[in-house]
Amino acid sequence: MSPVNLSTQFAGIKLRNPILTCSGTYGFGEEYVAYCPLEALGGITLKGITPLPRLGNPVPRLAETPAGLLNAVGLENPGLEEFLKSYLPKVRKLPTAAIANISGFSLEDYVLLARALQKDSGLAALEVNISCPNVKHGGMHFGTDPQSAQEVIAAVKAVTDLPVIAKLSPNVTDIVGMARAVQLGGADALSLINTLLGMHIDINQQRPVLANTFGGLSGPAIRPVAVRMVWQVFQAVDLPIIGMGGITTWQDAVEFMLAGATAVSIGTGNFVNPLVPLEILQGIQDYCEKRGLASVHDLVGLAHRA
Amino acid sequence: MLTEGQVVVHESLGDEEQRLRRLVLKGPIARTAHAGQFVAIQVQDSSISSFDPLLRRPISIAGISSERDEITLLYRIQGRGTEILARAKCGERLSVMGPLGKGFSLPEKGELWLVAGGIGIFPLYPLAQSALAQGLTVRLFWGGENKSFLESAGLSSWKALGIPLHLSTLDGSLGQTGLVTEQAQELLKKSSASGGQIRAATCGPKKMMQAATELFKNYKVSVEVSLEERMGCAVGACLGCVCTLVDEAGVLIHRKVCQDGPVFRGEEVVWNESC
Ligand SMILES: Cc1cc2nc3c(=O)[nH]c(=O)nc-3n(C[C@H](O)[C@H](O)[C@H](O)COP(=O)(O)OP(=O)(O)OC[C@H]3O[C@@H](n4cnc5c(N)ncnc54)[C@H](O)[C@@H]3O)c2cc1C
Ligand SMILES: Cc1cc2nc3c(=O)[nH]c(=O)nc-3n(C[C@H](O)[C@H](O)[C@H](O)COP(=O)(O)O)c2cc1C
Ligand code: FES
Repeated sequence: MSPVNLSTQFAGIKLRNPILTCSGTYGFGEEYVAYCPLEALGGITLKGITPLPRLGNPVPRLAETPAGLLNAVGLENPGLEEFLKSYLPKVRKLPTAAIANISGFSLEDYVLLARALQKDSGLAALEVNISCPNVKHGGMHFGTDPQSAQEVIAAVKAVTDLPVIAKLSPNVTDIVGMARAVQLGGADALSLINTLLGMHIDINQQRPVLANTFGGLSGPAIRPVAVRMVWQVFQAVDLPIIGMGGITTWQDAVEFMLAGATAVSIGTGNFVNPLVPLEILQGIQDYCEKRGLASVHDLVGLAHRA
Repeated sequence: MLTEGQVVVHESLGDEEQRLRRLVLKGPIARTAHAGQFVAIQVQDSSISSFDPLLRRPISIAGISSERDEITLLYRIQGRGTEILARAKCGERLSVMGPLGKGFSLPEKGELWLVAGGIGIFPLYPLAQSALAQGLTVRLFWGGENKSFLESAGLSSWKALGIPLHLSTLDGSLGQTGLVTEQAQELLKKSSASGGQIRAATCGPKKMMQAATELFKNYKVSVEVSLEERMGCAVGACLGCVCTLVDEAGVLIHRKVCQDGPVFRGEEVVWNESC
């Protein structure tokens, strides 16, 4: 039997396979070099950057929950200038595709970042994290208001020649509405999902565990929510989807692809086992072989036949 | 390094009420490990795969035997994760990442003062061993809850090193009554050795390490501290475990406890950070 074709192409992004790692869980790539052969990955998504450096939130920033992790890192990052100077040159040398992730607190922030990141930067794409409060509009999150989300994506799209991936927040009542909005804004692809807002209280100390009170929930606990959202968006919107949220085994990854994800991304799963991305790749390959599929792409959305 | 460690010894340490365990793992980590480094060990029950608990647990390396390819971990059963870890049986293989982080440094010569609070004693033992092997003079200040704790947590192996031990307990059941830093202070007052000849290393509750750092600063003794923070990735990728330091220019900066630490220079740590 001929080997399964693993290469994946969507929205002008070419990957050797559909396995990515999630923003914020994989640093700027170097941190995992000793633990996972990056050349085996389809690509990595870098830690979210903002125009200016940010120290982020006080500790504790992490709290474990059943099969999940709450984080309130608060977008700590070195800022654009330092990213371009000290991090990007190293990122360019990594043996895998790198997707930058940008965050902002105003439309201008996003434009500034996107303008600085073009194809000649060596990046494969730009992922736009819209799960941030818009400080100029009373803190309303870009990611929960379709109008703002559309505007941000359109503004980013207008100033960069890189493929633009809109990363959606699950903290909305109508995910399909958000996906449609960013499609109107010109997004080339979607990342689904960011973390779900949650909290954990220490009953002995009788106060929240996280210094920030609330945090974003990730890990296996959120997977069913993520799969449902990928499913709904796949049905409603004709854009390639990068599925993420709790992927820790190859079965999880297959589930996302069957729901409609063209590629999958692993975040918290790397903390459990840094070799998880490789195990997932192998598992998907074996699954395709057993099912007589010539290409991993044949899996995408298969569960929607019926 | 991501490795599998085979459980060679896994036993209760001292009084059962102290809930302490000794776990010896065979594997390649011992070859490159230094005192002060730690491992991130998976605490899932290997017979039934489950993602609860999800994260690995950071545990200091408390013993290093490179000839036998063995590391020793000493831990207290604290919650669900360590409870599950405590069930690992001899012969079982556990997934371990390590050695992680940057450990303690050793001066070329002179005296090394170790200051431990409670189970903060664990990473200091291999440090004492290396220091003695290098011909340094070592003394230990160790404070704990009571006699039962100190005896359970390895007092006899410290006695075997033949170094001066300054013990204290909160209830006075062994050594002096009171805080460990008070004993260090008394000796510093009396000591003929000038600050320049002494180096210190401390591990324990944050308040104790802060007090020790302030004390040593007054006597111009440089001190290394081992910090603890909740960890996600344990390799510097998630920024979950930052601590606040003040750099030479007086600017507050963040460093990752897992990668840049857990050992830092006491003088640079901002203890009451809220930024
Ligand atoms: C660098 C480092 C070295 C350590 N070395 C040792 C050691 O040698 N011996 C030992 O007994 N303990 C050590 N600890 C503390 C140990 O990691 C915790 O006791 C353990 O994680 C508790 O897990 P649990 O599930 O039993 O407890 P729970 O309280 O149920 O844990 C819940 C969550 O909180 C985290 N957590 C709880 N307490 C701590 C803590 N003190 N520090 C960091 N995270 C914590 C856990 O990792 C977990 O994610 C060390 C911690 C760090 C950061
Ligand atoms: C510690 C941590 C930091 C994160 N930082 C970012 C970030 O900077 N930008 C972003 O878009 N998403 C961030 N995320 C969200 C992840 O990229 C991902 O969408 C989410 O964790 C769900 O995937 P998972 O369950 O596999 O982790 C972060 C997640 C974690 C756990
Ligand atoms: S635990 Fe992830 S950066 Fe330290």
